[in-house]
Amino acid sequence: MATQQLWRAQLRSYPANGHTAFLPQIRKVVLEFCQHYPSSSNARTFISNHLERVAREHPHVEFVIRQRNGHEPIARGFYANGRDKVIPLNKLEVTGIERKVQLLMDSSGAKIKPLKGARTVESTTESARGIWSGMHVDTPFII
Amino acid sequence: MAASWHIRNWLSHHVRRVAATRAIHAQSVLPGTTSAALEIIRTQPSQYIVASLVGRKFILTPRDLLTVPHIKDVDVGDVLVLKDIHEVGSRDYTLRGEPLIPPGRVKVEATVVEHTKGAMEVVFKKKRRKGYQKTIKNKHPYTRLRIGPIQFANSS
Repeated sequence: MATQQLWRAQLRSYPANGHTAFLPQIRKVVLEFCQHYPSSSNARTFISNHLERVAREHPHVEFVIRQRNGHEPIARGFYANGRDKVIPLNKLEVTGIERKVQLLMDSSGAKIKPLKGARTVESTTESARGIWSGMHVDTPFII
Repeated sequence: MAASWHIRNWLSHHVRRVAATRAIHAQSVLPGTTSAALEIIRTQPSQYIVASLVGRKFILTPRDLLTVPHIKDVDVGDVLVLKDIHEVGSRDYTLRGEPLIPPGRVKVEATVVEHTKGAMEVVFKKKRRKGYQKTIKNKHPYTRLRIGPIQFANSS
C-alpha cells in the first residue's frame, strides 16, 4: 500500500479542556463598590461578611476588591480566553450577590451563543463509522 | 435468454468478488463472548458510544463537548461516569446492549466544564383586539460536559 502523504492540517490539535485534565477557566474576580452610596450597601455587607469564605472555597480564583466611588457596584470576572464578564450588583440582595459571583466562577468566558438544537454535541473528531459513499457499495448505481 | 444468462453470470461473479474482498478485513466468525467482541472493537482506530443522559440518547465520541439542561448538585470540574451506555461501536463493528451494556465492560467519564446560560430568547405573545400582549425574556441554563476517553475493561 502506498504511503499516505502527510498534510499540514493533520498535525493541528484542537483544545479539549476536561478530556483528561480539567483547568478552571475563571482567573480573577474583581468586586468594585462605592464607600458611601446606598446602592453599594449590600455589596459592602457581602465583602465584609462572606467574601473571605467564598475565596477560601475557591483557591484557584484571585479575588480583588476595588473602590468605585460614585458608581453602582460591579463584579467583573476575567477568564483564560482573555474575555471578561461584567455584572452589576446594585439591585441585588446579599444572597443574590453571592449567586452572581458563583455564576462568574461557573462560566468559561466563552461568548454567549444560542445553545439549543445544533450545538448539543460539538465534536472535532472524525466520524468513527466513516461517511457513506455511493461509489463504495455492493452495487453502485450506474447511469 | 442467453443474454439474461450472461448478465446473471456477470452479476454472480461480481457479487462473489465483492464478498471475497469484504471477507479480507471482516471477521468470518462472530465472536462468542462480549469480551472478544469488545476486543475486536478496541483494536480499531476510533470508537463511539450511544449513551443516555438526562433522559435523552446521544451519539458521543471522546473529546466531544455535550450541552444538556442544567444539572443540579454538580460543580464545575466534577467528573461524572456515564452509566447508561446502549451501544459501543467502531468503523466495522457494533456491540449493542440489551438494553444496556454491562457497566463493568465499558467506562466513559464526562467532566463538567461549565454552567452557562444560553442567549436571550424573546417570546412575544399577543391576542389582537383584546388588549393582551406580553413579552417573555428567557435565558435557558445549560451544563456543558466534556466526554473523556472510552475505557474498555481488562485493557491497560
